[in-house]
Amino acid sequence: MADIAFLLIIFFMVTINFEVDKTQVFLPKTTVRLEIPKKAAYISITESGQIRVSGGEEISVPVHPEDVLSFAADVVARDPQKEFVLKADQSVPYRYVDGVIDSLKQAKARVIYLLSEQETVDSAAGEG
Amino acid sequence: MKFKRGTVNDEIPTASMADIAFLLIIYFMVTTTFAATRGIDFSLPQEDDSPLVDKEESVLIEIQPGGVLMVDNKPLPLDNVLEYLKPKLERNPMKPVIIRANEMTEYGHMVSVFDELRQAPEKIGMEVKNVSIPTQREINMFWY
Repeated sequence: MADIAFLLIIFFMVTINFEVDKTQVFLPKTTVRLEIPKKAAYISITESGQIRVSGGEEISVPVHPEDVLSFAADVVARDPQKEFVLKADQSVPYRYVDGVIDSLKQAKARVIYLLSEQETVDSAAGEG
Repeated sequence: MKFKRGTVNDEIPTASMADIAFLLIIYFMVTTTFAATRGIDFSLPQEDDSPLVDKEESVLIEIQPGGVLMVDNKPLPLDNVLEYLKPKLERNPMKPVIIRANEMTEYGHMVSVFDELRQAPEKIGMEVKNVSIPTQREINMFWY
């Protein structure tokens, strides 16, 4: 019994990944989805345009839109190859996303992953 | 007076082991979140590989609020975008495609357009290699 229990414990310990950002958003749906590297920096944007950032290790903190640039520059200065993950709500007005992408471009970030959910036949039909 | 001399038990008590194990299991089960860890990647232009995109030479996809697409100033449904691009890409595989979303457009619409372009290898058998998403600041600085 204890053996099985310990096996389960090991399974959960291995699979666990501590979510650095717990913001609840409705992610956009895409067909193309690539695995995001671990420890990537997170930037989340809620439907109302509130932004939270995390360098990938710590829990995300809310920031002003103007401060995204300094955050991104700081992350890139530490690791120029760092990937950024943009976790934005699908119904957020594009200007908020535009501001964040602009900050990342100015900070010379290398790649952004747009976090998404799997597009299914049902969801595609529902939208169309 | 008589003292009882108990024998010392030299085994580690393991009876509570399973209880501890199950407590740990419950802890990990509760804290595990099968988070979405996948997304669509978008490489930003680096200094050494960003030739200036000529507005005249490129295909401009504008996304209006509500998700209406204007491709080269003509309305076009999302499903037909790749067909429209195919002959242009056959002539010039590096044909630049510019995605410009209106500031009020919902982010989801922009992602679905980008997703559609990324599906080009499966749908039309060739890749859309040169996609750029200029930001408002860049448009203000370089375009007008």
